Amino acid sequence: MEQEVERYRKPTRILHWVHAGAFVILFLTGLVLFIPQLGFLAEDSWTRVFHRIASVIFIVAPLIYIPLNWKATLRGIKNAFSWGGADIGWLKAAPRYYFLADEKGMPPQEHMNTGQKMWWSMVIVFGLIFVITGLIMWAFKTVAPAALLQWMVLIHDVAFIATGCMLFVHIYLSVAHPLMRPLRTGAWNSMARGKVSVEYAKSHHSKWYDEVSKSVEEKS
Amino acid sequence: MADKAILYDATKCTACRGCQVACKQWNENDEVIPVIENGVLAKNWGSYENPPDLSPTTWLKMRFTEVEAGGKVRWLFTRQACMHCTDAGCVRVCPTGSLYHHELGFVAYDKDTCSGCGYCVEACPFNVPRLEHNVLTGIAKMDKCTLCTTPGLDRIAEGWEPACVKTCPTGALKYGDHTELVTEGNKQVQALRANGHSNAYLYGDKELGRLHVMYVLDDSPAVYGLPVAPRISAATIAWQDVIQPLGWALGGLTIIGLGINYLVAREAKLTRELPGKKEE
Repeated sequence: MEQEVERYRKPTRILHWVHAGAFVILFLTGLVLFIPQLGFLAEDSWTRVFHRIASVIFIVAPLIYIPLNWKATLRGIKNAFSWGGADIGWLKAAPRYYFLADEKGMPPQEHMNTGQKMWWSMVIVFGLIFVITGLIMWAFKTVAPAALLQWMVLIHDVAFIATGCMLFVHIYLSVAHPLMRPLRTGAWNSMARGKVSVEYAKSHHSKWYDEVSKSVEEKS
Repeated sequence: MADKAILYDATKCTACRGCQVACKQWNENDEVIPVIENGVLAKNWGSYENPPDLSPTTWLKMRFTEVEAGGKVRWLFTRQACMHCTDAGCVRVCPTGSLYHHELGFVAYDKDTCSGCGYCVEACPFNVPRLEHNVLTGIAKMDKCTLCTTPGLDRIAEGWEPACVKTCPTGALKYGDHTELVTEGNKQVQALRANGHSNAYLYGDKELGRLHVMYVLDDSPAVYGLPVAPRISAATIAWQDVIQPLGWALGGLTIIGLGINYLVAREAKLTRELPGKKEE
């Protein structure tokens, strides 16, 4: 059997899928207010009920994860906001890679490559913005000054547009991009089963693979 | 079709509140005894107004303003209800199209399709729409004056006056062609000015692209406690005219971009792979 290396632990994968499910419900029930032609689907507030149920999951899931996985949380947040020269190199090489399947010029990457870091830092920042603006609208509808509520809606909308577009990119790169297929060889596996092949780890995240293999050697 | 409008002459109004009652009666809006459970606070704030505020079942309320000037107290009345703006903030922000312009210019409302988002409540420069909502679940419905165009209770389609106008005993409320009422209102304002009310003003002629409810005032709008030069809020414009179109464009471009990427990358992958090893 092919040698594999663990990429995401089980708690992290569970958090990912619970949060992803909640976000998709939030996205779709928000989309009906975003596109006028879909407005009729929001009639009688039922989409708002689902939006709120999903938002509770969206808030509670990380709150359960964080204290139980404190180290992983800190490491994850640190990763999201550590940017360097390799990221510039990645951004330069990315178009050739994603359009022309040309891997040359791709600098070695850590646990997360630049694109993944972009999405992951957006999830943290916009996630917080969503929660803060959303809770204000939930709790203080008709009570808070109208101008404040209007700006909350606007900021919520900006976060929706930014993360919504990136959600398409994220799903596309995970399951649909020609280079990510067949699924068992690529990124899909890392979140589905938590493991990737050593070959994939070496080619896509060589810095991370070096660290992991070193620490395994030290332990043994 | 030529726009219709309501002209309210504050100098002829005795604040009998017959219009309030007629509005409730015609539109089948029972009074809710204002208690805290209904989300309406029964606050006595020292006014003769009753009920204390507009609500989902009170679409029209006489506003009483007490003003002291030159040692005299004046008791001023205005008709607080939807002003049926031509440039209507509520119509701009309504995501379901429940608020829309009637062919005669009013802001009509289809309650059945309302999602209860409350954006109109926040966007209204006159603080008119009222939201009945459950704070926990978010199930909500807005309500406001429809100028008697509510489906099933549509007086306008029958060629009748709105209920409030029909019942007004002093002739303070008139319903008719918008342009004719502007002329009539201006005539009344001129008469008031000639009589010493130098600040007399026709409210609604210039505001928000012309309101379909206009007031003849014997003093400036500020004295009556009305918004002077009401405007569509900056947030409404930034949101509806900038962020929303930008969002549609970005979303569309993202999907198109990913589609192009798929076609290009699939081709590139196939040419790179050894011949005969084609997958899928």
